[in-house]
Amino acid sequence: MRYDSITEAIGNTPLVRIDPAVHGLRHIDLYAKLEMLNPFGSVKDRPAWNMARPLLEGAAEQGDTVVELSSGNTAKALALLAGMHGLRFKSVTNRMRVPEIKELLLLLGAEIEELPGQSECLDPTDTDDPLTRFHQVLSEPGSTYLHTDQYFNPRNTDAHAAGTGPEIIKDLDGRAPDWFIACVGTAGSSTGVARVLREHDPETRVLGLVAHKSDFIPGIRTIDEVHQVGLFDPATYDTIESVTSDEAIDGMLTLIRRCGLLTGPTGGAAYHGAVRHLRPLDGELAEAAQRRTAVFIVCDRTESYLSYVRRRRPELLGRSRPKHSAAALTDAEIRAGATVIGIEDARRWIGDAEPRPLVVDLRGPHAYAALHIEGSVNIVDELFDELVRGGLPFSKAQPVLLACPVGEKSARYAAVLSRMGHPDVRSLAGGIVAWRDAGAPLVRE
Amino acid sequence: MRVPLYLQPRLEAPLTSLLANRPFLHSLVDALGSPLNVLVPERIAENAERFLAVYRKHHLSGRVYFAHKANRSSALVRRLAAADPVGVGVDVASLGELRHALGCGVTPDRIMATGPKDAEFLWLAARVGATVNLDSRGELEQLAELVRKHALPRVDVLLRFAEFESAAGSQGVSGVRVLSRRSRFGTPADEVSELLSAVERHGDAVVLTGVAYHLDTTGLPEKARALERCVMLLDECRARGLAPRAVDIGGGFGVGYVADADQWEHWTTALSEAVLGTGPALTWRGHGYGLRNEGGTVRGSAALYPAHRPTAGPGYLDELLSLPAPSLARPSATLLLEHLYDLYAEPGRALVDQCGLSLARVLDVRRTGHDSGDYLVRLGMNAGDVSLEEHGVVVDPVLLPRTGVAEESGEDPVGVYLVGNLCLEADLITRRKVFLPRLPRTGDVLAFANTAGYAMDFHAHHAQRQPVARTVAVVRDGASWGWCLDEDYWPITRPGGALS
Ligand SMILES: Cc1ncc(COP(=O)(O)O)c(C=O)c1O
Repeated sequence: MRYDSITEAIGNTPLVRIDPAVHGLRHIDLYAKLEMLNPFGSVKDRPAWNMARPLLEGAAEQGDTVVELSSGNTAKALALLAGMHGLRFKSVTNRMRVPEIKELLLLLGAEIEELPGQSECLDPTDTDDPLTRFHQVLSEPGSTYLHTDQYFNPRNTDAHAAGTGPEIIKDLDGRAPDWFIACVGTAGSSTGVARVLREHDPETRVLGLVAHKSDFIPGIRTIDEVHQVGLFDPATYDTIESVTSDEAIDGMLTLIRRCGLLTGPTGGAAYHGAVRHLRPLDGELAEAAQRRTAVFIVCDRTESYLSYVRRRRPELLGRSRPKHSAAALTDAEIRAGATVIGIEDARRWIGDAEPRPLVVDLRGPHAYAALHIEGSVNIVDELFDELVRGGLPFSKAQPVLLACPVGEKSARYAAVLSRMGHPDVRSLAGGIVAWRDAGAPLVRE
Repeated sequence: MRVPLYLQPRLEAPLTSLLANRPFLHSLVDALGSPLNVLVPERIAENAERFLAVYRKHHLSGRVYFAHKANRSSALVRRLAAADPVGVGVDVASLGELRHALGCGVTPDRIMATGPKDAEFLWLAARVGATVNLDSRGELEQLAELVRKHALPRVDVLLRFAEFESAAGSQGVSGVRVLSRRSRFGTPADEVSELLSAVERHGDAVVLTGVAYHLDTTGLPEKARALERCVMLLDECRARGLAPRAVDIGGGFGVGYVADADQWEHWTTALSEAVLGTGPALTWRGHGYGLRNEGGTVRGSAALYPAHRPTAGPGYLDELLSLPAPSLARPSATLLLEHLYDLYAEPGRALVDQCGLSLARVLDVRRTGHDSGDYLVRLGMNAGDVSLEEHGVVVDPVLLPRTGVAEESGEDPVGVYLVGNLCLEADLITRRKVFLPRLPRTGDVLAFANTAGYAMDFHAHHAQRQPVARTVAVVRDGASWGWCLDEDYWPITRPGGALS
């Protein structure tokens, strides 16, 4: 394979059979359409390219900025396409809830604007919501924005009608599957593919999956939110069902650990929703001589969703407990193990002791720079925690005074260091706050 | 559609036990008329304590200032006057509120003057020694002039900032711009330097004690960014030799009005379907609460208060304090603590959560027209007396039958529209069909729960010579309840005068 541009690598993604031993369906062959293997990593590469392609040249002449309301994958694809054509890209969103995706977009050179939250002091007569204003700015005469408008642009749907759908039929040897399952975000992929499959075989059933209403699955919408999507037509779907984030992660784990498919949560949601929907139908097929097929879409890859998983299932990313953990100490152990020293005694100790104790300030560097005890060193608590896990960070001959804002964290670390064998580590009682309140000197740099 | 589409109110003690005492509430309405406002002063002190517990959890010192604008009651302010003077104060936004707070026994060192201020308001605040939360440079100049002209003592001031998104330093680092709704209040954060110079120039008249913001948003990231910027602004003050030490994070902590997430979700979905025409109508003449149908797609945004909120009030404050600051990456509470700054907050709505009821008698029940099955329930109050709709708060009232028990009758739940006592087509207390466990009867009372924040009498008026609600304060008296007029409540005596 030899290409002149990465855009030529968009499409022609594989259709991979899921091992029946995994899904347990006896009469239905289940296939995954691996949209995650598009060059920019998702199902959105196709509509992004299809929507932007006819406009890029003109936009480049005018120096326009490409803009889209996108929470992730469309923005990612558009940012790369814009970069290739020397254009800037701006993503406006209120849904950028996955930090890795945000950081990835920044790395790609995107600008991100996050819409404000809802007003707390509501004025119900105010119809001037931020999105309306955004659209007003875009449609102002002389605006220098190229808005791809994925939720309303038919070229989004067309990309899938021209590519994704026909590829599925080709890989199924010229037949449409009996069921097609897709998560609904812009509704572009489900609508485009469904159109082509039904033209080929009107009997094809289409299952649309949305996120459970109070839940969040990145990239897909809840049942209320799909009503705000211009491309969404309820007639496209024979059934619409909802999936929880827990179920999406379960599905994702199955695809990753048992099928070798490095999918993201929406792929997991599609798999889970597909098997849940097909299982009873599979039972009814006992007498049917013929096998049936179902295809679901794997939208994107795992890597961008680690923090999403960490928040919902921390145990999946668990670390084993370190040997010396400050967090593991009970209050009683801290009280018993930490030597605490009052402000006046501390001042005397710092002034007179030989060798002079090392004062360690555990606060953040910004706070430390603003005001600190003269001669102290700054080791932020997070860093200190790492150091202590590895072993004693000071010589046993070096007395140490630990200080934090109110003397709580410092007592914890004093107890840990004592347990680790340090003979003279003390914690400043009441911390820097008490030091200040006692009128003891603080310096800034 | 799932019928009935209840939006049952979130109820906690002591409102729960008060509502369980139907004869007492009926006797109050019988004696004092409909509408009637009932306040539970004890609960506001408990709420303040809940906020302060969050402070303690994060080891922060500082004060919770009740934003008086949320309710004009004397009982509430007097109850706060009797609360911990170190932790609890009052935020006044007018000359009248300032006089009221002073008259209720709140000492000036516990009063913060905010909002738009005229000369009289500024003078009285300065005269008694309240803290003035300055909105602009003009206000600073005006205050300094008054202090000099009338030989007043130096005034403690806070500087309120706004528009943090455009300020240098908050972007660029990350390339993410968190947009904010524009506000009429506060000085743009990038004008800090000029404002501080003015503070230094007027050093004979004012003492800078802190910086402030108040953002009208439910969005935590916007607030976390503003808080971080305020910490940095304080550092800038320190570097200039000024010594302020408080960050005032304003109000907007929210209240959860509806208890059950499922009810809220079903109702909001049903609203979208009604707007699209794919479900039955739910509102008076197809009102869409800001949503509209454009060619089969729902457009606009629902002008509804997020009535079911998993975290609100003190819980919301806790979340804000736990959220990492956008550029310094430490949790906001850690940032304040490590920089040795105090926290001020000005909750209004959240501090009067579960503090009050608005009661109305059912005057009349009838069907709308021949072919429509809709019921109109006319109440002895109007939309100004309980302005829940005005604030986008949708929640059901509690039916307090005159006789018998609501459930015993074997009647079915029913959807009704609640209309007011004004001779105006527009006087609807709900534009939404409200579901009740049975059809109300003349003489029943409907209790709107949790109206003490803005909804109780914010828009009450004497139009058409209809009575405006009286307000009473109720206090627990063993197993029963005692009451007195709002203006007669003092936290040191029981209703009737005996010392408590
Ligand atoms: C990760 C992910 N999954 C699923 C979808 C849904 O695809 P579509 O919008 O084409 O319905 C999207 C798009 O928003 C997505 O980004």
